[in-house]
Amino acid sequence: MAAPRSWALWSFCGCGWSRAVSGCRLPGLRSSSPRGPLGARLLSQEKEATETHFGFETVSEEEKGGKVYQVFESVAKKYDVMNDMMSLGIHRVWKDLLLWKMRPFPGTQLLDVAGGTGLAWILGDAEELPFDDNKFDVYTIAFGIRNVTHIDQALQEAHRVLKPGGRFLCLEFSQVNNPLLSRLYDVYSFQVIPVLGEVIAGDWKSYQYLVESIRQFPSQEEFKEMIEDAGFQKVTYENLTSGIVAIHSGFKLYLR
Amino acid sequence: MATLLRGVLRPLYAFRGGPGPPAGVPFRAVSHGTGLLYPEHIPTSVLQKVLLAAGSAGMALYDPYRHDMVAVLGETTGRRTLKVLRDQMKRDPEGAQILQERPRISLSTLDMGKLRSLPEGSFGRAYLHFLDVNRVSPDTRAPTRFVDDEELAYVIQRYREIHDMLHALLGMPTNILGEIVVKWFEAVQTGLPMCVLSALFGPIRLSAQSLQLLISELIPWAVENGRRAPCVLNVYYERRWEQPLQALRQELGITEPPLRVEGLV
Repeated sequence: MAAPRSWALWSFCGCGWSRAVSGCRLPGLRSSSPRGPLGARLLSQEKEATETHFGFETVSEEEKGGKVYQVFESVAKKYDVMNDMMSLGIHRVWKDLLLWKMRPFPGTQLLDVAGGTGLAWILGDAEELPFDDNKFDVYTIAFGIRNVTHIDQALQEAHRVLKPGGRFLCLEFSQVNNPLLSRLYDVYSFQVIPVLGEVIAGDWKSYQYLVESIRQFPSQEEFKEMIEDAGFQKVTYENLTSGIVAIHSGFKLYLR
Repeated sequence: MATLLRGVLRPLYAFRGGPGPPAGVPFRAVSHGTGLLYPEHIPTSVLQKVLLAAGSAGMALYDPYRHDMVAVLGETTGRRTLKVLRDQMKRDPEGAQILQERPRISLSTLDMGKLRSLPEGSFGRAYLHFLDVNRVSPDTRAPTRFVDDEELAYVIQRYREIHDMLHALLGMPTNILGEIVVKWFEAVQTGLPMCVLSALFGPIRLSAQSLQLLISELIPWAVENGRRAPCVLNVYYERRWEQPLQALRQELGITEPPLRVEGLV
């Protein structure tokens, strides 16, 4: 089992990353015991030493998980402050829009991957979730999938753990569709963000990685196709702030 | 607007050793691999340096414990002054040797055992005593990152690494008053904008009594000594551990401080 890992913290409740949400009472999903044998799904085989990107650097797939882990260990302390400073608080609006789109109601079995904080959480791997098939009504991932080494595997796992009729929602940085704004966004990203990281958090390199990894992430259409490849139907996306971020949505309509 | 942007961002291209980046490669790719002048180097554009200078100055004032911000301020504002300092070093025989041999001061390069065995009153023992009493280590100096010239990066690194020696020579502790006095000395000696800014704005956080002593006694003394002493970057400290402290002070024209700073603040 030599697959490189993308560790992620999840939470069971829709309140995972948006503290503003209240009245979202879900049945207490006690942290379920880690899954045993995996059913029909094959584990990833031994990987050859293939290369991938880490921001604009080239690294081996083996290394990437570890390097991403280091970045997030480094940024964890000042994570919220930096998010507010970099986006001028707008990241809260994006997350609220995601939640609004989702419209969770009492009883919704929600899995939020790469959640960071939440009510009940389990440590695991987005590429290999410790849950049984067909378990959740909604799977969300906000600003997390970009950092996963094998996005296609994370998408397949999302598909697997969702119930038929379940919904996949992803909030992630995407490509700006307006040429003028795109230039301004580039300047802001590459000139200002690492400086903010250095001044506020004493960490230039993690924030350099952040803005580079955004450029490496597939475009709205490409990501839509990847979601469809994982078996989702009725895949759509919605641009926020001219495409700085996008919410992708897909449904699992059939039992795999 | 686009040409203005390009102008401000252009200096970054220089590191690729060519007229510009290959087509399709964004300039920020220079930050990895081949564009680096030294291992810790982070190439920055003019705009980034301006933002860094302003941000680090503000943050250093807001949170005086952010020593890393003072270092960044020094790196982003010091280019012109570092050139002058480097040229001064080249003209001096001892300074030229330092530039050539590039000695570094860290726990791994210092022979602490040997220093401890030196006689009382020697410069080496005084330096060690200073480290012990103030509980500092030569390894707490952050490496230079934002200086876009490899020799100048060494010059500022050297300046940083001899800072503790200046404390020992001047007889100043590492409390805030002691640090300000050393900064005044360094400001006069080096002319580095960061030293000048620290010397001028550091006292903001002092009590009225300390401020009064600073202005009436300590600053005049520091300035006078700074003016009189030859360039402190030209002293090969590592070769002078056995030299008696008083003799070294005399050689540099440094007198006793007008009052003891330890008890204050």
